Amino acid sequence: MQSQCTWTQPRMPTPLCFKSSTLLTFSISKHLHTKSFDSLASRKGISYYPFLMATLSTPSTTEKDAVSFQSESTQKTQQPLQVAKRLERFKTTIFTQMSSLAIKHGAINLGQGFPNFDGPEFVKEAAIQAIRDGKNQYARGYGVPEFNSAIAGRFKKDTGLVVDPEKEVTVTSGCTEAIAATMLGLINPGDEVILFAPFYDSYEATLSMAGAKIKCITLRPPDFAVPINELTSAISKNTRAILINTPHNPTGKMFTRDELNTIASLCIENDVLVFTDEVYDKLAFEMDHISMASLPGMYERTVTMNSLGKTFSLTGWKIGWAIAPPHLTWGVRQAHAFLTFATSTPMQWAASVALRAPDSYYVELKRDYMAKKAILVEGLKAVGFKVFPSSGTYFVVVDHTPFGLENDIAFCEYLIKEVGVVAIPTSVFYLNPEDGKNLVRFTFCKDEETLRTAVERMKEKLKRN
Amino acid sequence: MEKKLSSVAKSFTPSPIQELSHFAQRCNAINLAEGFPDFPAPIHLKIAAVSAINSDFNQYRHVQGICEHLARTTKEMHGFDVDPQTDIAICCGQTEAFAAAVFAVIDPGDEVVLFDPSYETYEGCIRMAGGIPVYVGLEPPYWSLDSDKFMGSFTRRTKAVILNSPQNPTGKVFTKDELEIIAGACCRRDCLAITDEVYEHLTYENIKHKSLASLPGMQERTIITSSLSKTFSVTGWRIGWAIAPAFFASAIRNIHVKLTDSAPAPFQEAALTALRSPPDYYESLRRGYESKRDYLVELLAKIGFQIQFKPQGSFFLFAELPKNSSLSDVEYVKELIEQAGVVAVPGCGFFHTNLSSEKPSQVSCNYQKRYIRFAFCKSDATLAAAAQKLGELQLGVSSQ
Repeated sequence: MQSQCTWTQPRMPTPLCFKSSTLLTFSISKHLHTKSFDSLASRKGISYYPFLMATLSTPSTTEKDAVSFQSESTQKTQQPLQVAKRLERFKTTIFTQMSSLAIKHGAINLGQGFPNFDGPEFVKEAAIQAIRDGKNQYARGYGVPEFNSAIAGRFKKDTGLVVDPEKEVTVTSGCTEAIAATMLGLINPGDEVILFAPFYDSYEATLSMAGAKIKCITLRPPDFAVPINELTSAISKNTRAILINTPHNPTGKMFTRDELNTIASLCIENDVLVFTDEVYDKLAFEMDHISMASLPGMYERTVTMNSLGKTFSLTGWKIGWAIAPPHLTWGVRQAHAFLTFATSTPMQWAASVALRAPDSYYVELKRDYMAKKAILVEGLKAVGFKVFPSSGTYFVVVDHTPFGLENDIAFCEYLIKEVGVVAIPTSVFYLNPEDGKNLVRFTFCKDEETLRTAVERMKEKLKRN
Repeated sequence: MEKKLSSVAKSFTPSPIQELSHFAQRCNAINLAEGFPDFPAPIHLKIAAVSAINSDFNQYRHVQGICEHLARTTKEMHGFDVDPQTDIAICCGQTEAFAAAVFAVIDPGDEVVLFDPSYETYEGCIRMAGGIPVYVGLEPPYWSLDSDKFMGSFTRRTKAVILNSPQNPTGKVFTKDELEIIAGACCRRDCLAITDEVYEHLTYENIKHKSLASLPGMQERTIITSSLSKTFSVTGWRIGWAIAPAFFASAIRNIHVKLTDSAPAPFQEAALTALRSPPDYYESLRRGYESKRDYLVELLAKIGFQIQFKPQGSFFLFAELPKNSSLSDVEYVKELIEQAGVVAVPGCGFFHTNLSSEKPSQVSCNYQKRYIRFAFCKSDATLAAAAQKLGELQLGVSSQ
């Protein structure tokens, strides 16, 4: 109960903390009466998370009276009016915090996942041309037709699947919005959704906005393989959806064909939807990227999400998309219409040019990133980190414990202040922060000189205990 | 597989505005339906955007300068202070700012008061957050606010009031008295207000837009949302914002980060240029739109419309069908497309049947099928072409 309060923003007024612990008691006591809670909680490694929003969606009279009593008392004490209870799950992101600290100490930022080099000229030129040609008004809500076609064309090249750009492709403000629209359009309050930890922080947040019950399966070093037994116990006819991020942020793991096949058969057996985040699909180094949608029987139940930002080093343009069969696309489009209505028009035109880039672009992209990766990985090993193998993305996860700091956050703060390099503490990517305390994430989406300098600083100033 | 849709998604229907637009496109009709300009965006803005792309402002960013400008213009226009460091969240358009604001303050079961008619998106957002929309009908033909009706819509569960002024679709600008009624209720009931002020710079006949937040007791409980889109004719750039007390702005910012992470970076840069526009820019914007409005009023009068309420703001005209026409709004719009090749939006889509404290009856709600919304954010050439086509049609339509 106490932990709920520490997750809130420092400035949250105390009445909100008090309310949250009351309601947590309510939701736990409700579930102690059900057999399923007992049996799941007793299994090792699964955190069953009876999310508050699920029980709040049908408030009892007593609960509501408690709420209104609170707001009357706040009236009298002139506290600021209450923000929604769902915000207890929201905190200022670790990335922003680390970035400010980095600037303060003049540290090299290998934390936040965006390049310090820019996107290709031909794509930028296309955007400029679109602006000059007057393409500055609302695009069609679900995407500029030419862009939808380009997305379908690229998807066919990548997976062999033929999709209808008009009925099965939706353009969104980045993959982040695709995820939000998918959760809000396809998940009911109380639905069970399975996530693999560590996970990108927006998944948990948007699932909480949709009122989902999150079931978490932890991927563990050294290879972050999917624990099949845990997955088989977790998935049931009550599961609504499972979210897969491959190539995976932060570990760089890529789901193998075997893993995907196993997950697929469990999903078909239990009638579960799959949401995939494949934004790093073109940064696949050690094996080929496989889209779940391309497996037999899976297209009809999968939402495949991707974006322009990582592949084309234009993370600030916010161009993403979701590909799904018409009945699922419908839900995604409804939510999208109310979240942002339409996506940046000139950038969509430029993105259609980008997606028609020749194979040589992708070959060169991989080659450049592999060179950067080599610099970082060799450097981290030489410095003394235990480096875990990363098959894809531009991230690498390492064990920092050889350096004797208490946990990942302490290590990252030390790294910024004493060494002048930024990494991200991975505990923020877990439901249970304890699971991530030995690991930190470095990124290599930086120019080679920056990477070399960072490695030099660490070699010089970071000493093993 | 249809059962896989969330209950919220299942309750949504496709936008009638977008569907009509597709029909109009197929008929090659003149589009006076959708609310975006068909004339170019200001050159100084396009240059700024191009320059931003060339200067590599293409990664995730938050351009703090926008907040500084907004704090300044808020003080100039409305006379109150906001802290640019803490009170402003930049979002992907006013749409996202509004969605984030709703998610920030509305819990399942919370009631939200809205005015009828209103833009269709507000309700969708509120329902997505589990809130309950409660409509208060504005009285035609001047769309005035009935204080008793308004006060009667509040319950113990009312959390917020949504105010769009200048208003889409009616073009109404809420009067000082009306704002005071709304403010009074919010303060007495300790409710919030979320405003949509995207048409803030489009007001006519020397009427000034006054933000609800500037009234006594309101700043602390109001979330203002607005954007670049209508003021600078760049509806496709997706640059908007929310201005609110730090407590709310911070929540909105956190939600925005989870919804989309960042507004498009190069256009944030261009926004700096936009927000530095001199007073001349706004003056000529207003004058230009006012003359388009007058032109449209005249041409509609020629085909039998009696425009009782000329829009005081926005770029929409909500016209009551000619008295001698027995058609419904949808039928009339179809006729306009087929016979005259001009598209407008039937007003029924902006009305909602669950008006609070009113028994739905045939007579009292009949007016909801008698209005059409025309957009006049179109070039002079487009409006002239529309005039010509409608002029040719004069006899045919008004004899219906």
